[in-house]
Amino acid sequence: MSGVLIGPDGEDPFEAGAFAGLRAQLQAAAATFADAASADGPGTLEGILLGMVDDVDRATREPLEIFPVCHHSPASALAMARRLREKQPKVVYLELCEDMAPLLTELRNCRLPVAVQAFATEVSGFPAEWSPLSVVAPLTEASAEYQAIAYALDTPGVELVLVDRSSDHVFQWDARARTAPEEPAGPDAPPAEEEAALHGDAVGVKIGDLRPRFAELEEHLLRHGKVRHWSEWWHQYVELPLGSSDHDTYRQVMLLVGSLFRRLAPGDTHRVRVDEDRERYMWTRMREHLTASGADPRDCLYVCGAFHAASRVEEFGVHGSGAFEIAPRTATKWQHGLIPSSHAAIEAQFSLAAGSVSIAATLWAKNLRRTGVKPFRLAGQAGTKKTSKAKTGRQEPAASPTAVPADRLTGFLQHPPALDRLDEEELLGWSVEIVRAARRNGYLASTADAIAVFETSILLARMRDRAKPTPYDFQDAAVTCIEKDTVPGRRDVRRLVEIMLGGDRIGQVGYDALPPLARDVHDRLAPLNLALQRRGVQRALLDIASRPELAACSDVLWMLRRLMPQGTARPIMGERKLGARSTQESWDLALGTHQRALIELGYEGVSIEQVLEQRLRRTAYGPQATAATVLEAVEDAALYLGGGRLADELGRHALVVLSTERTVDGAPDVLRRVRRLLAYYRTSEPVLPSWVEAFTKAGYAHYCALLPTAFADEDAGVRQVAATLGFLFGMESLALSLGCDRTQLELAVAQSHPLGPEKTALLWAAQSHLGRLPLTELRSRCEELLASPLTLPAYPRWLSGFVQALEPVPALAGFVVEAVSNAFARLPDPVLLPWLPTLITSLRAEGSELAPLLIREAGRIFPGRLAALDAWVPPWREETAAGPDLPGADEGGGRGGALLAAYPVACDAVAELLGCDGQWAAVGSGARDGAVLAGRYPATAEAWEAVLTGA
Amino acid sequence: MSDLLRAPAETKYAEELDWLESVDDQPKPFSWRLSPKMVRLFILGSEPSDGLDRRISQKWYGDRSFVERSIVTLASDRGLLLIGDPGTGKSWLAELLAAAISRNSTLVVQGTAGTTEDHIKYSWNVSMVIAKGQSRESMIPSPIMTAMETGSIGRIEELTRSTSDVQDALISILSEKYISVPELDSEGIVFAKPGFSVIATANSRDRGVNDLSSALKRRFNFVRIPVVTNRRSEAEIVRFRTEELLSRHQLDLEVPPTLLDVLLQSFADLRASAAAAGSDDEKLESALSSAEQIGVLEDAILHSNFFGERALTARTLASSLVGSLARREPEDLAILNTYLHGVVEPRSREEGGCWPEFLEGGRDAIATLS
Repeated sequence: MSGVLIGPDGEDPFEAGAFAGLRAQLQAAAATFADAASADGPGTLEGILLGMVDDVDRATREPLEIFPVCHHSPASALAMARRLREKQPKVVYLELCEDMAPLLTELRNCRLPVAVQAFATEVSGFPAEWSPLSVVAPLTEASAEYQAIAYALDTPGVELVLVDRSSDHVFQWDARARTAPEEPAGPDAPPAEEEAALHGDAVGVKIGDLRPRFAELEEHLLRHGKVRHWSEWWHQYVELPLGSSDHDTYRQVMLLVGSLFRRLAPGDTHRVRVDEDRERYMWTRMREHLTASGADPRDCLYVCGAFHAASRVEEFGVHGSGAFEIAPRTATKWQHGLIPSSHAAIEAQFSLAAGSVSIAATLWAKNLRRTGVKPFRLAGQAGTKKTSKAKTGRQEPAASPTAVPADRLTGFLQHPPALDRLDEEELLGWSVEIVRAARRNGYLASTADAIAVFETSILLARMRDRAKPTPYDFQDAAVTCIEKDTVPGRRDVRRLVEIMLGGDRIGQVGYDALPPLARDVHDRLAPLNLALQRRGVQRALLDIASRPELAACSDVLWMLRRLMPQGTARPIMGERKLGARSTQESWDLALGTHQRALIELGYEGVSIEQVLEQRLRRTAYGPQATAATVLEAVEDAALYLGGGRLADELGRHALVVLSTERTVDGAPDVLRRVRRLLAYYRTSEPVLPSWVEAFTKAGYAHYCALLPTAFADEDAGVRQVAATLGFLFGMESLALSLGCDRTQLELAVAQSHPLGPEKTALLWAAQSHLGRLPLTELRSRCEELLASPLTLPAYPRWLSGFVQALEPVPALAGFVVEAVSNAFARLPDPVLLPWLPTLITSLRAEGSELAPLLIREAGRIFPGRLAALDAWVPPWREETAAGPDLPGADEGGGRGGALLAAYPVACDAVAELLGCDGQWAAVGSGARDGAVLAGRYPATAEAWEAVLTGA
Repeated sequence: MSDLLRAPAETKYAEELDWLESVDDQPKPFSWRLSPKMVRLFILGSEPSDGLDRRISQKWYGDRSFVERSIVTLASDRGLLLIGDPGTGKSWLAELLAAAISRNSTLVVQGTAGTTEDHIKYSWNVSMVIAKGQSRESMIPSPIMTAMETGSIGRIEELTRSTSDVQDALISILSEKYISVPELDSEGIVFAKPGFSVIATANSRDRGVNDLSSALKRRFNFVRIPVVTNRRSEAEIVRFRTEELLSRHQLDLEVPPTLLDVLLQSFADLRASAAAAGSDDEKLESALSSAEQIGVLEDAILHSNFFGERALTARTLASSLVGSLARREPEDLAILNTYLHGVVEPRSREEGGCWPEFLEGGRDAIATLS
């Protein structure tokens, strides 16, 4: 390589510098253009232009070699691979969060792209609502950083030092500015596809962020480059020209681009401050390391984004001044891991054009073939072809004492844009391929379309001043020629082109790089004999009856179903309920697809049982916990963790929570769950756990106390009150056996004075259950309601109350059927028909669980066959027809009658007042029952007479 | 200034086109008057970096790739079908393309339910046929046939409104590039000259009226023109068209930028509400396109000029907005009423400016219409 030797102290022997010629040219250019255009004075343009050269000059003179990169740029990766082979540095400093260092060795167990993740659920020092904090740094194979990592990790004697701020500082510095944490996550819209959501809502960090910082500059570049988006511009104007340039040109051009974007950035003070602080941080760390290790700066390589390479902070350089204080980290506990990533996820996270990372990967492969550069690859890297090991023995570095290179910029800038020659074969291949793909996806595409795409691509490229159509030109051409007014299938032509030109690649984290929990899950599911790492859905069949060892797998699967996102483990056959297990199960498993969720679960604990226990405890003890949620946790503890200590503890806590509740809102849930738990413990345990007894007792007293309020409270719904009654009546026998007093309930019912029809109906039902209101009375009240035109419109509400009453008093089912039937029988059509929808909706909305009971009862009462209907008389009519046996209907019988007969004066006075003219019947004048019998059956009496008289 | 009410693009921009033709040194396909790059330049306007001696104004606003794809399609052997919502500038783009490429944008067939095959191919001058018999002289060529004979661009507006037999007649024209005239023994076939192509426009809201056959679809490249929702481009479009209008009517009326903002904002609001609407009854019948916006402004300008105080006010703008957008009663009126009271009223309280007057004008207009 050509270059200018520098002395041992790093000073340039040529004071004028290598860029004197370029400077003079730029100065002249600035003078020419400034007059015409600039309103800010002639110095501004000159300042920017010369400043850029200064930046390049400064960075190239730095004894510690700065290697500027751009993220996901194959040209950067290629230049990096070449430079590493040539220079063989002993220390590589990398712009990546320093706390992520220990994980990098695990990369060899993964299939790229994966992302290094720092994750924290327990935050301290940050607003609680930011939790969980997550930072991801995605790595692809076609990136310079991967080259550096692979080289450093696989070459003996080479040290890799991550120097960027820690994940903790990412949030600390963000907190300094303000406010919402989502801002750094980028302006990207929520990704539509599953692959694009692989990073979740993590904050992305990338090495070598290089993009204009203000919209006008980007728009200007796009407009003049005749391209559609930033990725295309970069590809066309930096990537292609730099693809086969030498190291010095590459470095100087990248530095220049970095400097340009830096100098033309708007003054967003927070962003500038973060950028500069990062540079201070990195240089401070590097100087610390150099001092501590005694490494020679000339044996080191600093890999950073071109933007940071053009830094002007005081701390810049090995001999930089300034003492930057690195703030301590907060007490937040950070967990680290690798999660799978994908090209689509990277594009979505960093607002790159769809398909750009895939196109970069394709270009990388092509560049490698073209240039013959041997890339570095971690030994044992999954998902790559076995090549001869990247590095076996340490080669002697090329004799290259660090040199200040000559000016390569002038040549590069003056050179007309390199025109890539048309690769006809490749374009033909693409055209044919896209037509085939389109046909497979339902388009009516034919060979004629392939010809049109080919032709249009070339025409479009020419129109955009390039000889060779870029993938983006080809995409436009394909859309023009194949896309019609509708998209027949799931994917449109644009997407098909993306898939064809590389397609999305989804990474995978290898077994050894997984956290203990994830490994444990895989180990425990090993008896299923499935490739669980693979993406996609796999069917697992568990015949537990014949293979009892699969029961443990089933346990794990049920827990995964509880803990993981929907779709990870989906039971197709078999169920698990309290006290019930299936002997055969069948599952759809997609653990590979949801690898990130499993890895993030691994940050919470070492086994799924532990995580589940923690989560149950967190739910139960959380500030939002209600008795119902705590009981749910108890149920889950019994279901998944076998009950025991945790269930008892949570159960006792449920009691505490219940006693603090002041409404009956949760009553339906509490009732449902307590019933289930009670049934479970009665069948599975020899004695009821003490907390169940305590809960029943306390619940009985608690709901008795709340009942009158609940009846009166307008906010308490009918369902809730019904469930309260259901608890009281349903648990009564158990509660009474444990020493509760029924009077409490009777008093509570007596104190209840509801206002609305529904609740009044409930109260009547309760009174009927307690024996305070006979059925006949209830019936007559309903009759009255139906008879009065004033109460008639509210009849559905009464009915709805009665339907709800089936919950606490299921014995009323017959009566409710009667009430509904009466409504149908008695109401005239003009009233009935408009009312029917209301009836149906109220039954549907509030009585869906109780409707089956009602239907069953109706089925019992109504005749089953049509023929029987004519002769059928409803049972309640029969009773009425037969007439009730009314007590005291005999002739003046009863105590009252005797009293009247004994003191007739009062009655006479009343009769006189009312003008009644009656006669007193003689008491006892009527024949007594026995005498009647004797009159009817004289034979017996005569026989007696004969016996007594002896006749 | 031309003495036509609305001059076609090639007349209106004749001077620009002449100049471009004179400086165009790049290869031109077929009989094109301008090279593809110059066509693009003519439509999208020039930049200082193009290094031209004069400025070429931008005439169509939208994504440049649409224009590029359209030009390239015309250079290939397929027809171009511009498809999109009403008012997105499809016909204007077609006119500009035809004017730039063949200097004739008037070879137009309007697709309607009454369009017949004769309109696409040829018909006869009956009296001349009686007098002289069937000959080339007594034949009346359609605009498309004329375009074929002269190697220029023929246009078909609203292709999907015409019936399927008319569409079928196009298939052979687009693939074989000739029309046979069986009535004539000699000269019985009219061949297309190089440079002939067809630009058709179709309204995406008319889908299903007369769907294109797959055979015809194959012969067209589709370029979908979306509704402009970018605030900046929209402002540019409205400003451009308004200036044109003012100069056409020779009005010296000023459109205050704040009123332009009010117009753009109100359309953006109404579009957002249309996007959120669940059924057709909950959104305005209008597509709320840029053309619609220009129509509202044009209406307001003319009204203020002829009946008002020769100055555009927010009140006039509001009444013209209500007048243009309220097409169905009561649905559209109800939506506009909700918009005025739910959105404009709070805004006029908070921001002031033109909004209170706009609100009042809107209310009055609704009251008049109700």
